[in-house]
Parts: sequence; structure tokens; C-alpha cells
Amino acid sequence: MRGGMPQGSAQEVMMMADGYTGKVLRVDLTNEKISTEALNREYAKRFMGGKGLGARYLFDELKPGTDPLSPDNVLTIWTGPAVGTFVPLNGRYVIVTKSPLTGTFLDSYAGGFFGPEVKYAGFDGVIIKGKAKKPVYLWLNDEKAEIRDAKNVWGKDTYKTEELIRKETGEPKARVACIGPAGEKLGLISSVTSDLTRNAGRGGTGAVFGSKNLKAVAARGTLGVEVPDMEGFMKWAKEMVQKDVVENPDHSGMITDGTPILVDLSNDAGILPTENWRTGVFEGSKGINSEAIKTRVLVRKKACFSCAIACGTHAKVKKGMFKDAATEGPEYETLGLCGSNCGIRNVEAIVKFVEDCDRFGLDSISTGNVVALVMELYSKKLLTKKEVNGLDLKFGNEDAYSKMPRIIANREGIGNVLADGTKKAAKKFGKGADKMIAEVKGMEYPAYDPRGSIGMALAYATSDRGACHLRAWPVAAEAYGSMDPWTPEGKAAICVEDQTRTSVKWSFIFCDFYSVNFANMAKYYTAVTGVQSSEAHMREIGRRIWNLTRAFNVREGFTRKEDTLPEKMAKDPLQDGKPKGHVVPKADFEKMLSEYYKLWNWDEQGRPTRTALDDAGLSDIAKRLSYLK
Amino acid sequence: MHSTHHPWQLSENIRFRRRFHMSKGLKAEVEKCTGCQLCALACSANHVGKFNPSESRMNVVDAFPEPGEYRLNYCIHCDEHPCVEACPVEAIKLDDALGIYVVDKETCTACGACVDACPYNGCWLDPKGSYSIKCDLCGGTPQCVEVCPKGVLKR
Repeated sequence: MRGGMPQGSAQEVMMMADGYTGKVLRVDLTNEKISTEALNREYAKRFMGGKGLGARYLFDELKPGTDPLSPDNVLTIWTGPAVGTFVPLNGRYVIVTKSPLTGTFLDSYAGGFFGPEVKYAGFDGVIIKGKAKKPVYLWLNDEKAEIRDAKNVWGKDTYKTEELIRKETGEPKARVACIGPAGEKLGLISSVTSDLTRNAGRGGTGAVFGSKNLKAVAARGTLGVEVPDMEGFMKWAKEMVQKDVVENPDHSGMITDGTPILVDLSNDAGILPTENWRTGVFEGSKGINSEAIKTRVLVRKKACFSCAIACGTHAKVKKGMFKDAATEGPEYETLGLCGSNCGIRNVEAIVKFVEDCDRFGLDSISTGNVVALVMELYSKKLLTKKEVNGLDLKFGNEDAYSKMPRIIANREGIGNVLADGTKKAAKKFGKGADKMIAEVKGMEYPAYDPRGSIGMALAYATSDRGACHLRAWPVAAEAYGSMDPWTPEGKAAICVEDQTRTSVKWSFIFCDFYSVNFANMAKYYTAVTGVQSSEAHMREIGRRIWNLTRAFNVREGFTRKEDTLPEKMAKDPLQDGKPKGHVVPKADFEKMLSEYYKLWNWDEQGRPTRTALDDAGLSDIAKRLSYLK
Repeated sequence: MHSTHHPWQLSENIRFRRRFHMSKGLKAEVEKCTGCQLCALACSANHVGKFNPSESRMNVVDAFPEPGEYRLNYCIHCDEHPCVEACPVEAIKLDDALGIYVVDKETCTACGACVDACPYNGCWLDPKGSYSIKCDLCGGTPQCVEVCPKGVLKR
């Protein structure tokens, strides 16, 4: 295997104290070639890092129409200018590629410690192309990179993989992002798992790794990150950690409870997905809410890199059939989709389920959805016991349920159908299963039922990677706030504002749970890079990035007809609680969508106009879009 | 060349000493630690002008899922200071004002004798192997104590 110092222009890269390492690693797995090149500084200025930088490199380097699981797909990993610094809640990395689940742009993030380690190893980003002849992993260590034989770890779960790679590299502090059996077997709901319990979960990142015979990327770095004025930076940043993070009232629930605090809020609002989206009120919610976690499974609180909140929970089951199962979490989305949506009333079963999702490399949001689908089909006798691997797979059966991650990851029996997500599974099942699922562009819904918060239907429909809650989150104002959750009025504006802000946040890369505004992001940007910034500057970057990912998807053939509302959400009224009797009326949905396009200055088909692209500083992109010629 | 990696197991005795006022060094209620490493970042910022946990005088170790805990390795400024006795070039010198022993970077030859001598995993060589690093209480205002969001560390 090829190793040693990468060839290329590393020595020409100027060291600047501006947050960036200034270097991008390029890996050609087919020809086993590695090189280092200078970061495109113009792109860094225009697209910052993380999501933005990844989107731009992907737009340039991926041929439209490429099969996401072919060697031609481009797999990239990015940090951001502030990653590895003292900027709080900023230790993330992103995988940017074309999604095999949705066929769209994909940006999938994870916290933990892997992102900073890549930066400390000397790289702002890694661009991987081709396909290795046999399983390999990539080892990054202080500006050196190596393609290594993965024969000892292929087939192993993610926990074992991390352990073995640390042994092989002799670096007990190495950070490992890897796939489990789900990714190896090209499951379209497979994730990349880092630090055992953190996942770049959504969109089938694991399958992209698997398709390239890439088991893992491991990093260990001791090079550090520099900023222009360290003394001034620390003086100011220490105060920000205290005032804007620790004492910020927006964070109080995250500090005391973490995301599980949302279980009760959602249940009260009637939007907690329950029994495959049948209702939004779960009778068993007390067994899976934050109180249940704190009193039954919590061992200690756990933070990601540079996080003063520490929302994470090291949880371990103390007794019963799942004794000693342990995980970090479970988080709200998992509690909703792998809990109430599967009729599961005990957090212990969810701890076991999500530990297995992490071990085998599965996205828990999509996995919860697909297990709930098969439970509904089984309950309605549309699938026999024999067809579901001999399991009595009714809602709430913890024993049968707990076996599902392994079955799905390994594609055993029914697992072979479920491994590719609800949309493909429903098509294979027939029997009206397509009317039982909640997805957009093939990506499963997160745990906020839009029938009790209709802005979420717009948020899911217009997210650039398929149904996602991390681009816009109108539920905060609607079901959790004081805004009418059923009027279409004003929802488009929330989505536009949120998508602009998150595009910037995901380019630093900040965590969702830092309630940081544009003005403070501008200050962080200046403090890290030395470049003057402002709220307007940050907004400009956000608009540029959101238009770019939209342009990417339009180039792949996506238009209004793919910005969909699942039939179930339009036709089946919710059964209980505040949203009882409510659907998301199709007419309201279309009204929101049209208004949304107008606010972005896109055409009625949802395609960015030339003016929109020019205004966003994307004239060079406009030139490359055939519909604008 | 001495390894910069350590066995991170610490005896109960050491944990006890770190927690209560049994030495001149920092006290840590490690069970409150959430492993965010802000301490290590503030430390390296102050000592080497970079954000780099590997150059921090505070070594935060996470061990999950088993035994499911954090360990904080740093110089506790013990009374016995075997590092001082072990140093062949007298590079670990008494800071009169603070009453603690600190490494004089210029004198240190990076032989690693102090690393071997310390029973507390309190010092190690920097990543380049050029000198021994250990806590110097930032001259009296330990930055890690200032930034710890969970109140783990105390002077």
C-alpha cells in the first residue's frame, strides 16, 4: 500500500494564522495515489468551510448524473475555519457527497472529536475518488497520509474497528470515522460512525464509503490551529463561552436535559410520531422521555469537543433483558422514531437498539421509520411472520424490535428490503405501503409530525438533502411556540431565514444546539480568520450556499415535483391531542411552497433564477446551468 | 526516545489527592468532567499560542463505553517531586513566588527522566519530543480553571 509524504504542493502552502490549515488532501483509491494541494482560497472566502466549501468542490468535481455508488462519485470530508479552536460547540466535521438514498446533494455531520483531529493532522478537507481494489482505510497523521490495508477490520462492527485501528496505528488517541456491516453491504440508510456513538448519519454516507471499499478514515494530529491574535481572541472568547453559551437562556434545557426534553413537548403538542405516524400522542411516553433517561439509564453527561453545554448522555441499561447495553443518548429523534414510532415504551430497549445502530452503522432516524413501516404491515397482516424473519414484529414487541438493526445491517431476510429505506421498501412490498411512509426524495421524516406543525412539511420538502430537521425548524415557533401551527402564513419566511442561518452554521461548523445569531457568527469569523465580517456578510454567505446546493440539485434534475408532501400527511388526519383531525392540506402546502420559491427569487419550478444566482455571488455557477442558457 | 503515551490508570490515592487539598497543584472533581477539552485548548493557547490539545499541560482522556469515564492527567505539584530529583540537568526549577517546580524549557534536554519518574502521569514530552511539559499554574492564574464550564477544576 502506498504511504509516506503525499506528493504535491504542500511545501508551497503558505502558513497563515487564519484558522485554516490551507491544505486539502486528495485521494485516488483506484490508483492508490495521494497528494496534498493548497486550499482554494477564493472558495474559502466565498463558501467559508464545511457545507459551503464542500458544496462548491462537489459542484465542480462531480459529473451530473453520476451513480452515487459508482467509483465516479466524489466523497469529501470537511472541517471549518473554527474547528479545532476554542470557539464553543464547533468541533464537527461534515461528509459532502452525492447521496445514494436521495440522489441529491448530501451533507451529513457528526460531533465528537474526529473533526478537530483531521484539522490537527493538517487538513481542512479530504477529497476521495475512485474505488480501492480491496478494503482499505485512510490514515492521516501530521500532514502525512497513507492508504492502508483494511483486511483486519472489514466485516467488524464500528466499536471493534476503532479499537483495532488504534492498535494498528499505535495511536491510542486516534479518532476513527468508519462504517459497519450496513455500509459494507451498501445499505442506503447506513451511516459513518465516529467516536463510537457519533454519526454522520443521514443519506447513506456509509454506503458511499462501502462502494469505494473504504472502511474508515482515521486521524491523529498534533499540529494545532492558529488564529491571528491569540491574546485578544481568548480574552473575548472566554466571555462568549460564559455569556453566550453557559448563561444563554436558550441553552438551559440542553444543559439540564439535552434533546430528550423534546419528547414531552412533542407529545403535549400531539406531534410525537407514534406507531408509524398513526398518531402524535404516545401513551407510553413516560417510559421514553427525559425523566426516564435521567432516572433509569444515565451514567454521566458527555460533551463533544469544545462544548460547554454537554447535552450528551452516557447511558447504560442496569437490569432486564438489555442489561449492560450502553450508548451515548438516545437523542430525541431516536426516541421518537425508534421509540414511540415503533410503539416502544421502555428506554432500555431503545438504548440497546441504538447501540446496535451505532455498532452496525445505521442511521437511527431512517431505521426507526423503516422498522415502524414493517411493524404496520405486519400488524395489518400484509406481511406474515415468516416474511419478517419469523419475528412477532408487532408494535411494542421489544424482543423482536431489538433484533432489527442487525437484520437490516446484514441484509438478512426482510432486512435486505429494509436496508435501502422506506421508499424503496414500500415499492417492493406494494400492498399500499407507499401510503404508509413519510419521506421526501427518499429520505425519511425526522420526529416532528407536520400535521400538528405544518411549517415542518415545507421544511422537509425544501431541505437540500431530503426530509431533514436541521435546515429549517419552524416547529420551534409553531407547535413549541405561540404561532398558529396550522396556518400556511409566515411559514415560508421562517424556512428561508432558518436555511440561510444554518447554511452559515454548518460551514463553521457549529453544532445545532448553539443558539448563535448572525452578528455573533460574524464576530467569531473575524476572530478566527482576521477577515472583517458583519451580519450582512454572514447572511450573504448563507444565501450563496443555499442557492448553490439548490443549483446542484436542479442540475441533477430535481425541481418542484420532488419537493413533496407525503400522501399520508395530506390525507390521514391525526387521531389524538391538539392536532386531532388535522392533516397538512395539499393546497396550503402548495401555497407555502410557491411563497417560499418567491422569497428565494426562484422560479415556479423551484429553480434559482439568474438574478437570484447573481445576487448570491454565483454568476459563475449560473453559467453552468443548462436551464439558464 | 520516551513515549508520550501513558498508562492512564490512576490509583484511588491519586484521585483523592487531586480532589482534596493535598498538594499545591490544581484540584479536580473529575466526576463532573464532561470531556469538552476547553481546558486543554485554553492551556495550549496560553503556553504555545496555538489551539492544540497535544501541547496542553492538561491531558484529557476519554474512556468509553467502558469504564465510561474521563481522566485528567496533569502535574499535581506533589511535595516529593521525584521529577526534580530525576532530572540530570536541573531543568525543573523552583518558582519562588508560587512555591512550585516548573520546567525551564531552555535547560531541558528532553531526556524523559522526569516522565519516567513521575508516578502521577503529570508530565510528558511535547509532540516534537523537544522538551518536557507540565503544569506551571500559568504563573498563578490557571487558564483551565477560568474556562472550565462545569466547575471541575480549582486552584
